[in-house]
Order: sequence, then structure tokens, then C-alpha cells
Amino acid sequence: MIFTELRFVLLFILCWMTFFAVPRRWRGATLAAFGIVFYAMFAGPAIAVVLLLALAAYVRAPVALFVIVLIVAKAPLDAWVVPLGLSYLTFELIHVVIERRRGRIQEMSFDDLLAFAFFAPARVAGPIKRFPQFRAAVADAELSAADVYAGVLRILLGLAKKFILADVLALTVAESDYAASMRQAWIVVLAFGLQLFLDFSAYSDIAIGFARTLGIRLPENFNWPYLAANIREFWERWHITLSQWVRDYVFTPLGRALFGTRLRPHPKAIATISYLVTFAIVGAWHGLELRFVLWGLYHGALLAIFHVWRQYVPVRDSRPLRALGIAMTFVLVTIGWVPFFLPMEKATHMWALMFGVGR
Amino acid sequence: MSKIRRLLLAVLWLALIDVFVPPIVRRAEERRYESGAVYRFENSDLFALGPMVRYLREHPRGPRRRALFLGNSVIFGYGLETRDALPAQFEKLAGDTRVFNAAVNGAENGDSDLVGKAVIDSVDTLYVQLVRHDAARPILGMLIPVDDADARRFLLRRPDRIEATLQSLLGRVWRLYAFNDRLQAAFFGTSTRQYVYLHKRDLLLAMIGRTPRIPPETPHGALAVSLSARRDGSVLPRALLDLADVAKSHRKRLVILDFQRRTAAAAFNAAYAPYAEIVTIDVPPALLYDNMHLTAAGAEAVAAALLAHERERAP
Repeated sequence: MIFTELRFVLLFILCWMTFFAVPRRWRGATLAAFGIVFYAMFAGPAIAVVLLLALAAYVRAPVALFVIVLIVAKAPLDAWVVPLGLSYLTFELIHVVIERRRGRIQEMSFDDLLAFAFFAPARVAGPIKRFPQFRAAVADAELSAADVYAGVLRILLGLAKKFILADVLALTVAESDYAASMRQAWIVVLAFGLQLFLDFSAYSDIAIGFARTLGIRLPENFNWPYLAANIREFWERWHITLSQWVRDYVFTPLGRALFGTRLRPHPKAIATISYLVTFAIVGAWHGLELRFVLWGLYHGALLAIFHVWRQYVPVRDSRPLRALGIAMTFVLVTIGWVPFFLPMEKATHMWALMFGVGR
Repeated sequence: MSKIRRLLLAVLWLALIDVFVPPIVRRAEERRYESGAVYRFENSDLFALGPMVRYLREHPRGPRRRALFLGNSVIFGYGLETRDALPAQFEKLAGDTRVFNAAVNGAENGDSDLVGKAVIDSVDTLYVQLVRHDAARPILGMLIPVDDADARRFLLRRPDRIEATLQSLLGRVWRLYAFNDRLQAAFFGTSTRQYVYLHKRDLLLAMIGRTPRIPPETPHGALAVSLSARRDGSVLPRALLDLADVAKSHRKRLVILDFQRRTAAAAFNAAYAPYAEIVTIDVPPALLYDNMHLTAAGAEAVAAALLAHERERAP
């Protein structure tokens, strides 16, 4: 884990001291410089790809951005050109390009963009930042004992989640090859669902914690997602920054575009198509493999069904119904994790075991 | 200000705890490595390898003679309780020897070569299983001391120099950081997370006040195995030849266990006597449970044969 490597910690301490020592106008350049050193240290020559991507975003060249991402994403996974946190970086830079085109980002210096693109705590596994909020947070950051304390506690919380809980659960997940009964299959899949949440949210906690020590508030990424009472609420609580990104840059524009077509009198069809397309993209974002796209389509379908169902069944707020909703959502999400952690052939076998039709 | 005070208090607590770390490590390692409790890597994982090697290198002499067993799942005792594996049975029968079962499932000759060389000065006898391939796990380069030639030969991963320097510097002022893997290995025989995973049922039972399951006694075997030195067969793989040369130059005893009747032992034994020797072990099928792994009775029979062979050689 990069965050526990002393090279990272030492570099961050140096960055922290410099950040508060230099005049405010140099803060962006400070974060950019340390971010570049961090990236060079942990990702080596891949830094060239990130610089190219940042440059493409700076000169408002979405086509160049798209081509670079496509080339890099198609490269073998262990190739040196695959940059650390490429998927997160791509979405952040696409956001910059779109918002500049929309005129919501008026002025932007290259060092501010580099600080945004190379911000070390969030570079590994998010959260997916927004440029205006990030720039404002950097400019307004104040040295505060409360922030340092809260940040350190958040880092410790993340480390505990990762090393005490997630890594122990990972050992149960590793039993997936030996699962031979319905009980074992459910244990492995439930363990994966919990491990993924604890592991991923731990990374977010640590990133948010490091940023907080600098006085920078990063957006939250998780909010007790397994307590969601329906699938829409789940996506409002799970990987929040990704959900918001696809909502703003895929779902809403796509829905708006579809309203301009012959589908206008069929809003349910528009919602269904929008959900399916959006979540196919979410799936592909996790990895350019069929199983991830399938996982995305599964969630898109659940969201579309829930959307249509809500049109006919009025919402009734009661505790038993909410508890039932939480249980159902959890089970549906858990079933969906199978292709997320297993190749298709094994996933099919696991599903068969879970539902008692395989051995 | 209260936040700063709390942070300082946390640092003070850590400093206070740090004072007690070295004596705790010393006591825990003594109990793990020198007591009569059977030694084996829990769940056959490599976590405890580094701490064990460091302990042995720091303590080249123990209260008893030392024997180190290296090899794959056959030596580890796959499917057997720790006490029923070959090294544990050897220790029980020998009485005066402390036995370290450092075998790991899937280990190859290169792994045994590297581990054997790392602790050659801290053990009296090495029992190394001859397996098919000469490869070594790349992670060994991060866990135990290896020389550059071996690192290149086995394509080992090496620790990042900056990271290693920083770890060493921090370890000098924060002993809990420096000793954390040694503490885990000494307390649990593996990492804490592996231990919790392996013993989750027993830990849960203990939490609700119920007694954990104690595995039943394993029946003893009546069959014996025979040891020999074959005249024909292939040459010993390079990794084990390398280890034999090191054993000879360090005047240590190396016994290579050939379960598959692969090598020409007689010529090798003549060249390397009395330091290194290949013994061909013929195990009756009744003492194997899957044509490869020893049953508890098989492990006991092999241990008895090895011990008898050593006593015959040097009464």
C-alpha cells in the first residue's frame, strides 16, 4: 500500500511543511511539484502519459484526451505506460474539459491543473475531485490543529479498516476456488462484498485524511452503502463521487438528448436507456472486460426497474418496509458482486452454487 | 489546543510502549523458537520466514542442536496436524534437537537453496527435499538476505533502497515499527490476519466461553520406509548443488531427501561426504494418502528412518 510506504509519508510531510510555508499563490505549484515527485517515484515513466493528458485537458483537446486514454487503456496491464489511478484521472480531466467548455471554469493556470491532476493523496484510488471546489479548498486552506487531528484520526481509521478487517476478509474471499456448497459460496461472496467496501472506503478515508491535514476537504465517497433501502439510495451512498460524475456527465446529458428524440412521450424508456448506458460505462470504467460491463448493466437494470416500479407503487415510509428494503438491496448488490471479483466462467459457477443448482 | 495535547499524548504513549518492545520480543521469540512447542509456518505462508531467519542469524547457537527442514507440502505436512508432520515427528523422536519446519507448499529447490544459505551458520543439520524445479519465489529477495548473484539468477525482487533506508532509520527510533513483523511471527507463527483467519472458529468459541475443538490423536504406523543411495539417475539440480557446496565449505551437514528416486546419489555422496548426502526414500503406498503426501504414520516412519540413519552414521 503506497500510503504506508515511508517514502510517501516523508514526501507528504515535506509537502505539508512547504505548503504552509510558501505564500498562498504558490500553493498550487507546491502541490504540483510534490505530486510530480510522488508520481515519478511510484509510477516511473508513466508520468509522461499523465503530463500529456493534463496538457490535452489544458489546451481543451478532448479528442487528444480520448485517444491517449484509449491507447493507454488498451496497453497490457503490467506495461509501464499504465499510469497509477488512470481511471480516476481520466474522469477528473474530462470534467475539467467539459466544465471549461460550459464556461463554469473561467480561468485556469497550468500549475493549478497539475496540482489537481497530481494531488498525491487522491491519485491512487480517488475520491474523484471537482476542479473548482479543489482550487477553492487549496486557496482557503488554513493550518489548523483541529484539521490535523481529524486528518490523522481519519488516516488511522482507514488503516484499521484496511489491515484489521479488509485484509482478513480477503483470506476468506481467496477460498472462492474451493467453494463447493451453497453455504461456502454465500460466505465467500458476502465476504467479498464487505471486503470491497472496507478496502475501498479505507483508501478513501486515508486520502481524505491526508488532504484534511493540509486543511483541504475532499468529497466523501461512502456513506454506509449497505444500509441503503433501495438501489438508487445505494448509488447515492456507494462511490459517491463516481455516481455524481456519471450523473452529471453521462446520465443527465443522455436523458436530455433522448428527450429531443421520438422517445419524448416515453419517459420510462428514456430512463431505462439512460440507466443502462450510464452503468455500462460505469462497468467499463472498472475494467475493459465483459464481466465489468455485465456488472454495470445489472445495476443499470436494477435502477431502471426500481425507477419504473416507483411510478406505480407509492412510497410508504415505515420501519419494517425500510428494513425489508435494506435486506433486499444488500442481497441484490451482493449477487451482483460475483462477476466483479471472478472471471465469467467462475462467476457462473459461483452463481450456480449460490442458488443450489451447481456443485 | 486540546487536539494538539491529544496528539502529543498519543506520541507519549507510543514512546512509553516502545520501552517494553525489546524485552517482549525477546521473550516471545525465545518461546516460539527455543521451546518444545512444534514449529511450523501457520497455513504454510511466508510471513514468518523473514522473522525466523533474522532470529536464527542473530542467535547462531541455541540450547539444543538445530535441524532445519526445507521443502514443499510433503515436508510441510499438507493435510496433517502440525504435530504429525515429518519435522515434528523427527523432533519428538530425536529428543535433543530443536527442529524448524520451514517448508512451504509449492516450494522449489531455489527456495530451499536461498533459505538454507541464509541460516547455514545457525543450524547443525539441513534436511532438504529434492523437488522438480530450480526456481525460487521472487518475494524471497524482500524477506531474507540474498546476494546479488542469487538475486539475478532467481530473478528476485529487491527492496527499494530509499524505502529500506527510511525503514531502517525509523526502526532505530521506533522499535515497535522495527519489530512489528517479528512480534507477530513470534506470537502467532504467522501474520495476525492469517492467525485470526485460521483460528476464527476457535476465537469465536472462546469469546462465548466454549472450548475449542482439540484434534484427535493420530494412530501410529507399523510400516517402515527404507533409505538408500541410488547409483543411477540424473545429476542433482544446480540450486541444491550450490547449497551442498555452501554446506561443505561451512562444515555443516546437509541431507537431501529424494522421495521420487530421481538422482544418482552414490557419486554425489562420495564427493561430498561427510557434509552432504542424498538419501533416496522409498515410501510404501500405504503411507501416502494421495500418492504424494505422507500420512501421519508415513511421516513418523520417515522421521524414524532418517534418525536411525543419522545415528548409524555418527553414533
